[in-house]
Amino acid sequence: MGEERRQFEEIFLPFLDAAYNLARWIVQHDQDAQDIVQEAYLRAFKGFHGFRGGNGRAWLLTIVRNTAYSWIHKHAPDEKLVPYEEEKHAEIISFDQSAREITTEKRKEYLENALVRLPTEYREVIVLYELEGLSYKELALALDIPVGTVMSRLSRGRRRLQQEFTQIRNAEAVNGL
Amino acid sequence: MDCEEVRQLLDPYVDGELDLTRQLAIEAHLAECNSCREAAQRITSCSRFIRVNLPVYRAPPGLKSKVRTTLANEDKPKFRWFREHGRRLAYAAALLLLSCALAWTWLTLSPSKDKELIAEAVSNHSRSLMVSHLVDCASGDQHAIKQWFDGKVDYSPPVADLTQAGYTLVGGRIDILEQRPVAAIVYQHGKNLLNLFVWPATSRKIDMDVRSERGYHFCAWNLAGLNFFCISEISAADLEKFEDELREKINL
Repeated sequence: MGEERRQFEEIFLPFLDAAYNLARWIVQHDQDAQDIVQEAYLRAFKGFHGFRGGNGRAWLLTIVRNTAYSWIHKHAPDEKLVPYEEEKHAEIISFDQSAREITTEKRKEYLENALVRLPTEYREVIVLYELEGLSYKELALALDIPVGTVMSRLSRGRRRLQQEFTQIRNAEAVNGL
Repeated sequence: MDCEEVRQLLDPYVDGELDLTRQLAIEAHLAECNSCREAAQRITSCSRFIRVNLPVYRAPPGLKSKVRTTLANEDKPKFRWFREHGRRLAYAAALLLLSCALAWTWLTLSPSKDKELIAEAVSNHSRSLMVSHLVDCASGDQHAIKQWFDGKVDYSPPVADLTQAGYTLVGGRIDILEQRPVAAIVYQHGKNLLNLFVWPATSRKIDMDVRSERGYHFCAWNLAGLNFFCISEISAADLEKFEDELREKINL
């Protein structure tokens, strides 16, 4: 095996779960996510000489994210994101309140659905920050946006997620009745 | 900071992403403002709720081996060789090119120029011996010779007294080398005369080990921005000694 490939695998294969998780959250489909991960690893390997050490996880996730977007662009160019109507003045009910008296399974299900309903730009910030633990600075680099935008997107994303969660829970409560 | 400003920065505050100054300013505000403190707590628990309850997808079994196969296919030996040795190959090519350029310069430019220079110097030297035009300024005094050159050439050739080493100063004259007037300093060693040509090494630097042509020995070197070319009938060893003595004097 080439020395370069051995090094590459040693650094980046441990992030396979993280890479898959991000791709899976962006495209919402297992097989597509797997294809994206494979392509992203290939791209990363080809660009390995441009990797200057440092946070390999953030570097790889940036590539996964970009690969996922070009994949979406290629495979579903006409798919328009559903315009998101923010309920600007709606009261934000915190998870702690709205998830009260709900089973753990339901919490997870509602939360997943709530995140899926968010526009991708918010979804990716939440996944990368809350699940993958990237810093604001790494997010700014990965998404190619200023740190200030990272701040406001994450902040708004959290609020929207709570709103969606509340809506889903309320709808379920109505259906359940 | 008022509540409005604090609320804008509450997420990064909770995430520990603010600079120290603002972090402290918000802490100070939270110590006194209940509603902002509660808002901060809501963000903390929101973030915790997401981390605890959001499903994390793990790579399905088999994905790792698929990725490795993809990489292995990309890493076929022929490509690998170039990727691993490409840089070395490029260096080697650059080195080869450089050597060729140097060799070309050496073979074509420098020897022919040196050859011309040697021919000129040899004829200058033999002419200085044959006709009664050895020196324009006959003097054994280095300062007198140095002064005489002043104004005749646009640089100041070092004139060294090497009497102790067995080379006595005879004088100085102006000669022509490489289409320019150069200072010629004449020394005597035993019965033999020695011509030392000195001129600025502006266009090129001359450097030649002791060689002989038409019964003369000569050598050249450059020092302190000047070219030195000396030629004589004296033995190669004596010429080398002259060079060493002169270099030492000039350096002092």
